[in-house]
Amino acid sequence: MKSGDWVGTALRSLAEHDREREAPEEVEPRLVAAFRRRRARWKTKTVVLATLGVAAAITLFLARPQPKPKQVVPMPVREQPIAVAAAPAPMPMPVQEVTPQARQVKRQPREVVTQFFPLLDVAPPFERGELLRVTVPASTMRSVGLPVNEDHLTDRVYADVLVGQEGLARAIRFVSYEQ
Amino acid sequence: MILTDAALLEQALRGAEDAFTALYRRRQGGVYRFALQMTGSTAIAEDVTQEAFLALLLHGTRYDEARGTVASFLYGIARNLVMRRLDRRPGADVEITEECAGPEDLLEDLTRRESIEQVRQAVLSLPPVFREVIVLCDLQDSSYEDAAAALNCPVGTVRSRLSRGRAMLARKLRGVAMV
Repeated sequence: MKSGDWVGTALRSLAEHDREREAPEEVEPRLVAAFRRRRARWKTKTVVLATLGVAAAITLFLARPQPKPKQVVPMPVREQPIAVAAAPAPMPMPVQEVTPQARQVKRQPREVVTQFFPLLDVAPPFERGELLRVTVPASTMRSVGLPVNEDHLTDRVYADVLVGQEGLARAIRFVSYEQ
Repeated sequence: MILTDAALLEQALRGAEDAFTALYRRRQGGVYRFALQMTGSTAIAEDVTQEAFLALLLHGTRYDEARGTVASFLYGIARNLVMRRLDRRPGADVEITEECAGPEDLLEDLTRRESIEQVRQAVLSLPPVFREVIVLCDLQDSSYEDAAAALNCPVGTVRSRLSRGRAMLARKLRGVAMV
């Protein structure tokens, strides 16, 4: 008999011998208990964060800044005065030169963001979602492990909340502005 | 209706305890036997089985049906856990020291428990990279494709390791017979 044959036979015998072997019965209840703990944590966290996210989104929507009036770039005064009949000669007006610096739009503060912090331990598959800019209490930063001064826990900070297609808040990142 | 492993996993990740339990009952035996045949320790096999299913809850969203079956995904997790245990106890692999029957006699004696245990010890004495393909393909009846997915290597590598592993096994069993 070829060596491969008897090795195969030997392995099949071992496989057959072990076929009925299974994990001890006590493993299943331990796993189910762990599953329930995770699910409970996941549910609580999801509800709290979804509520927080929605509340923050509503707050942001209500407190959104009104559209600013359009900036008017000063036009140079025409050098040729308009002649008006029977009117006194107009006083010469100084011509206002527009410098390139004046044309520059005022620099916007630079946005600095943190990494995204996952909000769900076990998240359903992500298909699509939206990023919502919200304001949250600074204490929220603590919940993801970021340091916050005790005096500023109630301060409002900007955050981006990633909301999945099912409406669950999946991740959050914090935003600050630098001049 | 019998749900596929992938469907059970998806439901379990959404919080369905029944689905998680069903998936565990369906797959725990294979994971337990894989760990047992890789380590020769029932205690480690029990731990690995429990940890593998916990890891499935944590990282199950990473499962990609296009890359393999849930079973191979689970074997992949279990394999990593087993390798970590083996690293922690270098040199703990069992060496064959007992005399056993020659190939021809071995076939006749395979029904005996001692012979089966000798084959087990021979498998345990293989280097882990050869042992894992023998365990998956010869003892767990995994396809080459599933084994490749579990071991995160090409199918060709599985084939060549399997061939070399069987040859080593034949030599070990024959060598023992000559002691």
